[in-house]
Amino acid sequence: MIWAAQRLAVSLLLVWCVASIVFLAIHLVPGDPAELLLSSGGVAPDPAAVAELRERLGLDRPLLDQYVAFLAGLPRGDLGASLVDDYPVLDEILLRLPRTLELIGAGALLAVLIGIPAGTRAALHRGGAFDRFASALAALLLAVPVFVVGTLLVLVFAQMLRWMPAGGYVPLAQDPGRHLLLLSLPALAIGKGLVAVVFRMTRTAVLDMLARDHVRTARAKGLPPGRILRRHVVRNALTPVLTVLALQMGSLLGGTVLVEYVFNWPGLSTPLLRAVEARDYPMVVGIVLVISALFVLLNLVMDLIYALLDPRVRRA
Amino acid sequence: MRRLWLPGGLVLLVVLVALAAPLLGLPDPIRQDVARRLAGPMPGSPLGRDEFGRDVLSRLVWGARASLTVAFASAAIACVVGTLLGLLGGWFRGLGEFFAVRSMDVLLCFPPVLLALLVVTLLGPGSGTLILVLAALYLPGFVRVTWAEVLSARSHDYVEAVRALGAPTHRILLRTVLPNIAGPVLVQLSLAVASAVVLESGLSFLGLGVVPPEPSWGLMIRGARGTMAQAPLLLLWPCLALSLTILAMNLLCDALRDAADPRTAPAAPPRWVDRLLPGLLPPPRADAVLSMQGLTIEIVTPRGTIRPVEDVSLSVRAGETLAVVGESGSGKSLTALAAMGLLPPAARPVAGAAWFQGRDLLRLEEAEHRRLRGSAIAMVFQDPMSSLNPVHRIGDQVAEAIRAHQPLSARAARARAVDLLRRTGIADPDRRARAFPHELSGGMRQRVMIAMAIANRPALLIADEPTTALDVTVQAQILDLLAGLQRETGMALVFITHNLGVVAEIADRVTVLYAGQVVEEGTVAEVFGAPLHPYTAALLAAVPEGDGMAAGIPGTVPPPQDLPPGCRFAPRCPHAAPACDAPQLLAERAGRAVRCTRADELALAA
Repeated sequence: MIWAAQRLAVSLLLVWCVASIVFLAIHLVPGDPAELLLSSGGVAPDPAAVAELRERLGLDRPLLDQYVAFLAGLPRGDLGASLVDDYPVLDEILLRLPRTLELIGAGALLAVLIGIPAGTRAALHRGGAFDRFASALAALLLAVPVFVVGTLLVLVFAQMLRWMPAGGYVPLAQDPGRHLLLLSLPALAIGKGLVAVVFRMTRTAVLDMLARDHVRTARAKGLPPGRILRRHVVRNALTPVLTVLALQMGSLLGGTVLVEYVFNWPGLSTPLLRAVEARDYPMVVGIVLVISALFVLLNLVMDLIYALLDPRVRRA
Repeated sequence: MRRLWLPGGLVLLVVLVALAAPLLGLPDPIRQDVARRLAGPMPGSPLGRDEFGRDVLSRLVWGARASLTVAFASAAIACVVGTLLGLLGGWFRGLGEFFAVRSMDVLLCFPPVLLALLVVTLLGPGSGTLILVLAALYLPGFVRVTWAEVLSARSHDYVEAVRALGAPTHRILLRTVLPNIAGPVLVQLSLAVASAVVLESGLSFLGLGVVPPEPSWGLMIRGARGTMAQAPLLLLWPCLALSLTILAMNLLCDALRDAADPRTAPAAPPRWVDRLLPGLLPPPRADAVLSMQGLTIEIVTPRGTIRPVEDVSLSVRAGETLAVVGESGSGKSLTALAAMGLLPPAARPVAGAAWFQGRDLLRLEEAEHRRLRGSAIAMVFQDPMSSLNPVHRIGDQVAEAIRAHQPLSARAARARAVDLLRRTGIADPDRRARAFPHELSGGMRQRVMIAMAIANRPALLIADEPTTALDVTVQAQILDLLAGLQRETGMALVFITHNLGVVAEIADRVTVLYAGQVVEEGTVAEVFGAPLHPYTAALLAAVPEGDGMAAGIPGTVPPPQDLPPGCRFAPRCPHAAPACDAPQLLAERAGRAVRCTRADELALAA
């Protein structure tokens, strides 16, 4: 319990660091947001309008005041409003975050369903035909960038075969079949790297476990091979595999940008990209902050799951 | 090393082409020619023209230049800065360590693409921004690797020695630590370059990296997406160039990593060779539970076939304890594993027989052998910590052994498991059954292993150095436990050890192994009272008596690939004579056996 509380405290500290860095970075970089926002096509904006906008955004107050106000807003979930359309940043995030998470979840599901059995099989028949084929395929999947896979998937399935539209989104409640159809290609693109990583890690971990003494004990007990594999090999290999999967999912929190762009999936990255182009600072800060906090949270949850899977960690 | 050539050559080719781009006489990659928009292959443009009529081949080559510049520059910056930070953090510890290493934790809180987007928002897109972002992203990797290496290098003796000689810190860092971390840092560098190529192309694809009209593979894919209906090939070329480059870089990284880590050597696959026909050997002793005759084990190694066990015979009756004694490398563990059918894949029995309940264990089908393992024959191993599965409760592990051979419900098996734990002397077995192996002491764990082994009332228990990993006081308790259980159940016990004191305490008969062969066999009283083989005599002389120091036997056991042609003990034997150059045979002598031609003439003192 104390251990979990400590981890939580460290996580909160990290989130605070991230928030401060993002805030400071935005305000210390040369260039006045208000001026940038109002200038268009190289024409200098009207100074009166800039001053008015600065006041409305609170940019005329001392930096420390702004920082305190920013931090004070965080616990209330107040991330400010978009500079472009005044829409509350938090509402925008809450609308789109689930769609991004759905994409990552679907990719992780593929990784677990394909990567773990394939990795186990490859390890059991090490050096065999399946092992060589799957290992080569995994190397290839890791080498092809996600936007290349996405673009090629669109080319083949939407453009040439015309099996499905090139992209888009329909809410699950509105049309479940179409929702899943539209989810399939982006999930494949997201999942390809996860499947390859989980396959490799499972193969390594299972090979490692097979050589362990406790597996010899299990054989000495005369357990059936299937039971040894499940309870004494794969079960023990799960810890490193799930750790790697969680790390990968974490980096995907931002990495879905490319896939969402290619498939026109209205997740978090659409407003993020739009905000980056429009210099919509509150929106960028809000999204970066929420994703980083989720990333830290994921690592925390993973540590707890790790403790559940490996009883030796619990005592440490 | 051969794995380095193909990917290494491919990466080198891409780098050379990118470097030589201005010398290749290609058309200007930026000049537009709208009239030839999306034109197919034509003279001067073997791959055709893109959506603005620019030459595709030229843009591919110049795009490689853009990608590689960003990738190498950012990786190099990250490498230099990160290595320095890691060196300082690892060497000075304290506050320096805190800032150099812990600040990286904060950097790692940002998913990579997100951090890149944030910086691009602030600084605007462009190659310079990209280099900065990517360098920041790969910084933590270098800091961590260097930091960890310095910490481990610090504890090495030679670094301590140089420090003690008063060498200044910067010289120690440069001269002793830096060469040692070169391998891991190089691996990290190759990883950073490969992943920078991926990120650069991705950001350029989003329009946030390289600024058009400068060519870049990511931008080319972005452009070709718009015209993929008319010209799908335009999409293919940059995709192919990018994927092949990254594939080659990844393979190079893997090869480098394996070269830097010598542990990953591939093992030879097991070979199937017909074994000797059964029946050529003398029939089993009628009253023996296990009767092993002429067991020979071969291992195929890259340097030839070795025989770590050759012509080993031993037998044990019900209720009897047979000690198998020998130094490490004598083949005693392999002999036991052969009876269990648990030999490592590279080892196989090529001759002999092991009769158990009318069946030859060396020729059993795996499924049949499995039904015997854990029920009629059980085994206890040396290290109880690693032999228990760390993630399951010990009660479950014992119950599992019961249910593997008896049709019991989970509840009944659990109750039996608690009962077994009680019988092996574990206090409060109900509560202990719910414990994990790491929560128990070493002696307690070995009691759990024994509980598992006797779960199905075995006729034969093989204990392979069961007390070696334990404290002296705990050793005695475990020996008492085994002896008590044997009296209760009447099982045969094969006790493998190198400790002669234990043999005297627990065993009825003893078989002495040396370099894979039986050298002497007999009752403990006979063998200890009047050893016939010089090796046995030397072993007995090496046992410390009272406060006296152990004499030790000069020399070591010869390795199986380098055995003497005659008597294997001759090089270490004080009684060696010309007669010992001939191969020695195991000879019967009044109910005992010895492998020494001079046994009759020598009068060996115990």
